[in-house]
Amino acid sequence: MTVDAYFYIILVVGLLSTAVCLAAGILKKAPNDVTILSVAAVEVSLLVYLVGSVIRVISGEPIAGEAWEFWGYLVTAMLLPPAAVYWSILERTRWSNFVLAAVGVTALVMAARMNQIWY
Amino acid sequence: MKDRQTTAAAGQGPAGSTPANSRNTGPGRLLIAVYAVFAISASARAGYQILTKFSEAPLAYLLSAFAALVYVVATVSLAKAGSTWFKVSVAAVLVELVGVLVVGALSVFDPVAFPHETVWSLFGRGYAFIPLLLPILGLVWLYRRRPGAKAAAA
Repeated sequence: MTVDAYFYIILVVGLLSTAVCLAAGILKKAPNDVTILSVAAVEVSLLVYLVGSVIRVISGEPIAGEAWEFWGYLVTAMLLPPAAVYWSILERTRWSNFVLAAVGVTALVMAARMNQIWY
Repeated sequence: MKDRQTTAAAGQGPAGSTPANSRNTGPGRLLIAVYAVFAISASARAGYQILTKFSEAPLAYLLSAFAALVYVVATVSLAKAGSTWFKVSVAAVLVELVGVLVVGALSVFDPVAFPHETVWSLFGRGYAFIPLLLPILGLVWLYRRRPGAKAAAA
């Protein structure tokens, strides 16, 4: 499987975010600036992936798989962090940090699939 | 139990939860979030399979769509208050458990008849076995928060 820099960015940021949120949840903390910002960092890395991909398509690089499937994954992945943050600040308990922790790994899995589609 | 107390306290928060609906608080929020992710991904996958290659394996792709529907119903019913929604949740999670066990077993013992992937194939191996774990956790959660059960801290 070919992987690119975008995947590695999301790998590092996503796993870090998941680790931070898991740790906060295990320590029985409610979502705080650190955990919410770590999820925001996942969103930023997805945004980088989006901008990079748009530039690559405009400059003529082809997507090997179904283009709309790729964009579908990317857009769905970008909806996850805001949805999780919204869901977690409605009830600020430690469990909301586990919800936030799910974002990083989910984004990672989706980024792996996006790489598969692209190459 | 410290968790229960935190949960009960949060239940009186601005979300406006009543003691009758304690399924969408605490661990339930995580459960609903994971169900929501599966509802979205299973729906997208089934939609994609049916729109692009339905004739290849109608049975498998209808099964995908059915699984997606079960996840959607489970997600919505877990988030809703009341004993009716509780029953809907139990039904959806039981159907999910039976589905993952039956489809998982069939895909192992008769891979020729089930060559096309669904969420439940090989007990959800393609999804880190979360489809197998989820209904079990769901039933445990529903049992602990069944209507009429004495709430620990409330």
